[in-house]
Amino acid sequence: MDPKKLINLMSAKTVLKKTPVHQVVSSFIVRDFRIWWTYKFWLTLDITGNLLFVATYYLFSLITSSQQVQDAGYVTGGYFTFALIGIAFQQYVFFAVQSINQSVREEQQNGTIETVLSSATDFKVFLLGETCFFFIICSAFLFISFFAGSVLGAVFTLSVESLISTLLLSALLIASHMAIGVLSAGVIMKTKQGNPLTWVFSWMTQLVSGVFYPLKLLPWYLDWVGKLFPLTYSLDGIRLCLQGGQNLASPVVLSDTVSLLIFTIVATPIALYVFRIGYDAARRDGSLGQY
Amino acid sequence: MKVEQIVDLFREEFPRPSSELTHTWAVFWANFKIFLSYRTWVITETLSTVASIAMYSFMGLQVDANRFFSVGYGDTTWLAFAIIGIATANYLWMCISRISHSLQHEVAEGTLEPIVTSMIKLRSYIIGQSIRGFLVSSYFMIGALLIGVYVLNVPMVLTAGTILSFIVILVMMIVSYAGIGIMAAGIILVYKKGDPMTFLLASVTEFLGGVLFCLTIFRVILYLLQCPEPCLTLTPWTQRGESSSRGQRWRRLRFWATSPFSSSSRSFFCQRDYESSRGAWTEYGEKEPLRRTRSDQRWTPKN
Repeated sequence: MDPKKLINLMSAKTVLKKTPVHQVVSSFIVRDFRIWWTYKFWLTLDITGNLLFVATYYLFSLITSSQQVQDAGYVTGGYFTFALIGIAFQQYVFFAVQSINQSVREEQQNGTIETVLSSATDFKVFLLGETCFFFIICSAFLFISFFAGSVLGAVFTLSVESLISTLLLSALLIASHMAIGVLSAGVIMKTKQGNPLTWVFSWMTQLVSGVFYPLKLLPWYLDWVGKLFPLTYSLDGIRLCLQGGQNLASPVVLSDTVSLLIFTIVATPIALYVFRIGYDAARRDGSLGQY
Repeated sequence: MKVEQIVDLFREEFPRPSSELTHTWAVFWANFKIFLSYRTWVITETLSTVASIAMYSFMGLQVDANRFFSVGYGDTTWLAFAIIGIATANYLWMCISRISHSLQHEVAEGTLEPIVTSMIKLRSYIIGQSIRGFLVSSYFMIGALLIGVYVLNVPMVLTAGTILSFIVILVMMIVSYAGIGIMAAGIILVYKKGDPMTFLLASVTEFLGGVLFCLTIFRVILYLLQCPEPCLTLTPWTQRGESSSRGQRWRRLRFWATSPFSSSSRSFFCQRDYESSRGAWTEYGEKEPLRRTRSDQRWTPKN
């Protein structure tokens, strides 16, 4: 048979039954949950590790002064509440971003990525499906951390306005970090190796995003670098809401929200574009399923 | 041909032309060359060590000197305390996880069987891998301490006595934990999954070892728990810059350095024999579970 005819035959448009996006995404979530649930021992270890981590910073807070935290506008709760919010959200985003990479790599390793992406599933829906489950799990871990923190004495200023503002900031935090996760997954798609982007992101956020200390303690150049990371704005806004009782009406919280929104609007198309390049390059090379 | 005859044939002893020392050196050198080929990894890990020290120096600005002084660390600062804690905990983690991680990689890549069927004894392999692990860990630990002392001007009590005691304690700590590392490697040979034992121990050690906070804060609970945890005996000691004169701690260390090592070595070789009899050296049926790794914490593991 003439190869051109064969290619034409293979590339012929077939009528694909369009499955609603929410159904595809929920299938991904159910699939990932079933796999995840089989590793119960690891689940126990993860929860234990999380609790020990919170307890470590509780004990550390016993030898710290709350002066710097209060000077930064985080009035309630002292250092422990400050560190708890920082740790919980930093781990949340790092674990989520790492999980996106890991799931793409596992699909490659298991040879299932080619099957999924050659089906009627669009790559954007595929990415959404891959990320949703991890954000759900990470949210559960976030609540566990907050619960453990509350038991150990973390104090929050809770009002309806501040809670709504926190939820909005958290949603923007997820959206902005989903873009970072997709960006690094696009790099992995082509390079097939562990991604230094995630690693650098993790260390830089810990150092300059004010996870463990207020940004005012940093020298001006690191403070400036910190402004490039969405976690900086998220943590500042969330802390001002939960520790300072502020809400979106406050100019600082509003400014943080706008910065996050701008980051998400700019970063999402770039991330999707990079993923598309990696995806197309891998398809062109025929190396989509190679590892 | 009878099965027993085939088994006898395979069991037949072949002359081993090279000494165990040569084999150990070969394993070490091969793995060290692999390590040197990962330049990006070495650079990023070095940078991460620097970044973590910088981070702890900023955290140290929030420590209340009076509270720190009141728990018995008056001669030094919290940063000195934390740098020693982190450097030691990181060193320990790298040393104990080295054998199990390398075995896990060999099993996953299917290269363990060729190694086992070669003339290299498993003992030489383990020692060679461990030496490589210690050397790489030492680079990071010494680097962290040097940055602390020379860049951040962290006050440490550096006399011939304290340095010598530090080295002795470090050696005994490694020997204490080596048994646990070997035991974890044995578990990996049988179960093939992740590395739960090392992960659990690392988390517990970080928490109970007093890496970031003084154990005197919750004196009663943790001092009761320190008997089953060798790191607890060591870290506060080195952090205070004390010399090796405390009899009770020496006795406890001596116990930890000797008893678990022999029993875990026995356990490892039992599990090795079990896997050998099943012919399942290189089976890797279940994929690595998706899990949180220590890389999301402030000091990263080096495989």
